[in-house]
Amino acid sequence: MNSSLQQQSMLDDKPAVEVSDLTVAYHSRPVLWDVDLTVPRGVLMAIVGPNGAGKTTLLKSILGLVPVAAGQVLIFGKPLAQQRHLVSYVPQRGSVDWDFPTTALDVVIMGLYRQLGWIRRPGSRERRKAMEALEQVGMSSFARRQISQLSGGQQQRVFLARALVQNAQLFFMDEPFQGVDATTERAIIEILRQLRSEGKTVVVVHHDLQTVPEYFDWVTLINVRRIACGPVCQVFNEKNLRAAYGGRVAFIVEQQTEGC
Amino acid sequence: MTNVQLEIQLVAVLVAVACALPGVYLVLRRAAMLSDAISHSILLGIVLAYFVVRDLSSPLLVIAAAATGVGTVWLVELLVRTRLVRSDAAIGLVFPTLFAVAVILISLYARSLHLDTDSVLLGEIAFAPFNRFEVAGRDLGPLSAWVMGGILLINVAFIALFYKELKLATFDPEFAAAQGFMPAAIRYALMTLVSITAVGAFDAVGSVLVVALMIAPAATALLISHRLGLVLAVAAAVAVWSALSGYWVAHVLDASIAGSMSTMCGIVFLLAYLFSPSTGLVAQVRRRQAVRMTFALKMLAVHLAQHERQPEAATENRAEHLTEHIRWTNDFAEKVVRRALSLGLIGQEDGKLFLTEKGRVLASESVIEDSV
Repeated sequence: MNSSLQQQSMLDDKPAVEVSDLTVAYHSRPVLWDVDLTVPRGVLMAIVGPNGAGKTTLLKSILGLVPVAAGQVLIFGKPLAQQRHLVSYVPQRGSVDWDFPTTALDVVIMGLYRQLGWIRRPGSRERRKAMEALEQVGMSSFARRQISQLSGGQQQRVFLARALVQNAQLFFMDEPFQGVDATTERAIIEILRQLRSEGKTVVVVHHDLQTVPEYFDWVTLINVRRIACGPVCQVFNEKNLRAAYGGRVAFIVEQQTEGC
Repeated sequence: MTNVQLEIQLVAVLVAVACALPGVYLVLRRAAMLSDAISHSILLGIVLAYFVVRDLSSPLLVIAAAATGVGTVWLVELLVRTRLVRSDAAIGLVFPTLFAVAVILISLYARSLHLDTDSVLLGEIAFAPFNRFEVAGRDLGPLSAWVMGGILLINVAFIALFYKELKLATFDPEFAAAQGFMPAAIRYALMTLVSITAVGAFDAVGSVLVVALMIAPAATALLISHRLGLVLAVAAAVAVWSALSGYWVAHVLDASIAGSMSTMCGIVFLLAYLFSPSTGLVAQVRRRQAVRMTFALKMLAVHLAQHERQPEAATENRAEHLTEHIRWTNDFAEKVVRRALSLGLIGQEDGKLFLTEKGRVLASESVIEDSV
């Protein structure tokens, strides 16, 4: 705990994420075009935009998972390679094979592999920490379950627990609400708020525009280019949504200035 | 059993287990057919290295062959990345090309080389005892046992050492990358192991049946077990059993040993497919029957409860009426009634069925369940 507090205070002055001039292209087709972005510390930020706007690519390029054509990413003021221990990632649930022969507890323990380093095996200390994380997401009674026997929502919570166990400062989540039940959605948002109250930063690729004002306090709208980035109450408005989604926004933002 | 028989079986077991272990990771990565690609294209490496050293027993051949195997994987990935072909087509393009080049080279420049079609495709494990490993005049057994033993040891050591890294990179490569575990490096290390193993197994079982030894034990183990550690153990056990039983089947039939080993692998898989306690076909049918029976018992209880206090109970609640009212066949109705009687859900008096206390509880529970 103490070291985590020190970690936080040391990072106080730097924004959680600083992206400048980021360009990603598949062959010659740009997927992200000259994106600038600053995520302040301690916010719950949604990345929204239409399909193919590059939301997931933005996340992956910040995490160094896709090659970038140009641009720079700083995590708490330094390149990712030096800051991996502060960063946690929840990939899309569909990105892995849930028939893999392993248990929920084992998946959560994977979140501790980095701390263990190469070759060293997890032991009872890791199992205990992982159980605590499962408890946090309300999944402790499923610890020994084979992961294919979990429902979609339960799988998503296991993924979340794997991120929580890392005790990171900055969380990236790719559509954690995709295809989950209402219980899981509430459980996840509860945990996200708790993380924010602990001063952590959470960046979420999000699909459902309706829930943006309720769930998040910061938002980035992208469509290949960055359309807007800032507090929800300032930038989540019709003009920006139209710019991101074209004329097809069937949805009018009502609360423009509430809580600002 | 003669010494020669023992030695052949030893080599067979070593080959089978050495193949089965990396095979588990290939199957989990849905890259099973890469084993086919690697086991063929290594021939090119063997041939090219032979032209350089002119010695079939040189260790350089193994290194060159392993390098071709890894190169095959790299070429396949390169082709896939162009997005012009998918990975299955890319595999189908790359390895036959490399294999064909090797075949042409052999036919042009190495006719005298002991690399005829039969031995390339099927290997000949029965010759294993002829090639001895001798140190200072002392015979230490068949050379291939030492080679395969060494390869098996490398496989076991690598998997034991990097168990957690292999697991993470196989299950969730992106998360592994985000954690700094270099999944691409791990993948190529695994492909190197597959290549080395394929080279070693090449002599014994040829380039086609290697695929069976890599894939079948792994696929079998995945039907039986749901923990990675156990999957590896079961795959190794299946490999040992297939090797030994395959040898003796071949002995009795006087047939190809490698062919019999692969066939036994297939038979074990079939058995697991039918009888695995969790995923087997028989278990599935049983489970479906059990579900059907449970539902039938509930229906019977609810039916009896509904007519219990009505005057028509005397006619309705008789075993022979069930076929009319709930549309069961006679056989099935009899079965359900017998089951309900034995579970104490109902009683029978002059052919009339009535609910016991236990049956009444089931009936009311079932109705509540449905209305929630």
